[in-house]
Amino acid sequence: MTVTTERNGDVLIAKTEGRVDGTNAKDFQVLLEDAIDANETAVLLDLEQLSYISSAGLRVILLIAKSLRNQKAKFAACSLSAPIREIFEISGFDKIISIHDSQAEALAALR
Amino acid sequence: MQEQYTILVVDDEPDLQPLILQRMRRDIRAGRYHFVFAQNGIEALQKLSQDDGIDMVLSDINMPQMDGLTLLEQIPKVDPNVRSVIISAYGDMKNIRTAMNRGAFDFVTKPIDFEDLKVTIGRTLRHMAEWREALLARDKLVVLQNELSVARQMQQSILPTQFPQSPGYSVYGKMEAARNVGGDFYEVLPFDDGQIGLAIADVSDKGVPAALFMMASRTLLKSIAMGQSDPGQVLGELNELLEEDNEEGMFVTLVYGVYDPSTRELTYANGGHNSPVVVHRDGTSELLPLTEGIALGVQPMLRYAQNTVQLSPGDRVVFYTDGVTEAMDGDGEQFGLERLSKLFESPAAPQDPESANLLVFDAVNTFVGDTPQSDDITCLTLSCSEA
Repeated sequence: MTVTTERNGDVLIAKTEGRVDGTNAKDFQVLLEDAIDANETAVLLDLEQLSYISSAGLRVILLIAKSLRNQKAKFAACSLSAPIREIFEISGFDKIISIHDSQAEALAALR
Repeated sequence: MQEQYTILVVDDEPDLQPLILQRMRRDIRAGRYHFVFAQNGIEALQKLSQDDGIDMVLSDINMPQMDGLTLLEQIPKVDPNVRSVIISAYGDMKNIRTAMNRGAFDFVTKPIDFEDLKVTIGRTLRHMAEWREALLARDKLVVLQNELSVARQMQQSILPTQFPQSPGYSVYGKMEAARNVGGDFYEVLPFDDGQIGLAIADVSDKGVPAALFMMASRTLLKSIAMGQSDPGQVLGELNELLEEDNEEGMFVTLVYGVYDPSTRELTYANGGHNSPVVVHRDGTSELLPLTEGIALGVQPMLRYAQNTVQLSPGDRVVFYTDGVTEAMDGDGEQFGLERLSKLFESPAAPQDPESANLLVFDAVNTFVGDTPQSDDITCLTLSCSEA
């Protein structure tokens, strides 16, 4: 699992690649927390290259979403593959995290 | 205060004792080392068994009564954690090799180079200290493992193992934790009016934190369900309680349903959990429609919709956690919903819930083969019959 970040205007884009499960969820959390500044205003999680996510990984996304909400920053995820989208839909996370089909669409919504 | 180490010096030559006391006087005065002396192996063993504070032995090889090589064999019987350094004649490789093979930690040669001896003693004692730390850590680990196995027994013992028998239905559930303790659970609640409450749940992540959250979820669910018959309401109330003070972002996905054997209606609400599979008598199957619920503990003030399905005699409702469908084989392929449904395709597939459950567990275990179990696996089956 890797997380690479880039900036597009005010939006921090964090691309996650590989599998996130119970064995590396903590690493995933640390990588995201390190990448996100305390004064961040918008974060986009690009999950196009995410191959699998377990509930431990969903929990990390939830924690990040909560802490961004506390610092009044916007948060969204984009480009979920069909199996990942299904995991978000079954758990109902698609209703608490805004999900977009593409990065362009997500960026437009975050601005 | 720094630790003082005690070193037992074993030599029959009388001049070594004053020499050591003189050359090591700084370390002795600073309280780093304390030396005790023995004339031969037998006396050394006596000292070792009388004084349990000895950290290392420095021994000559040639001595009357019991030589150094024999002593090396005897030391572990008295104290297996003492480290020994031997003093040999320069170039006496045969004895040095024998000593090393008998467990000596290191050797120095005669005439003794005291700078070298100091380095050797220092190195031996550092090794000794690390070894003791490792032993302590191992003991702590053993305690922790024992506690975990007690926790495992406690957790397993709160899951129902006796299932209510009724002419209208039968039910069976089982949880296999990936680690000592798990985050999955199931619940079977027979009510006085003949209805039965059924739940399956999966807490985010695994291990001890998940197990603690699981215990809380299960206890709260049980107490709420006892006073409230609407599954949607039960999930709503449970969500409020779990969401409070949940700083760690833990959540639980859960299906809770109430089955009425007199009407064969199953009313259920789903909080972010995998949809249970309904298998009909003829082997066809479908998923219980989702009720659009969100995992519990995530967000306050949520309303949970419920749905009612009409079941028929011969129907089985298989509740499961993602440990079943996301079980992975060596190639990373998931067991999946299709394989689960296929198990019941044959009209000869078991009707009784225990055999149906066993069928699922066996199929998952066969599928994953030698791949270590990565998630808790739980399955609860309701089988409907003529009331």
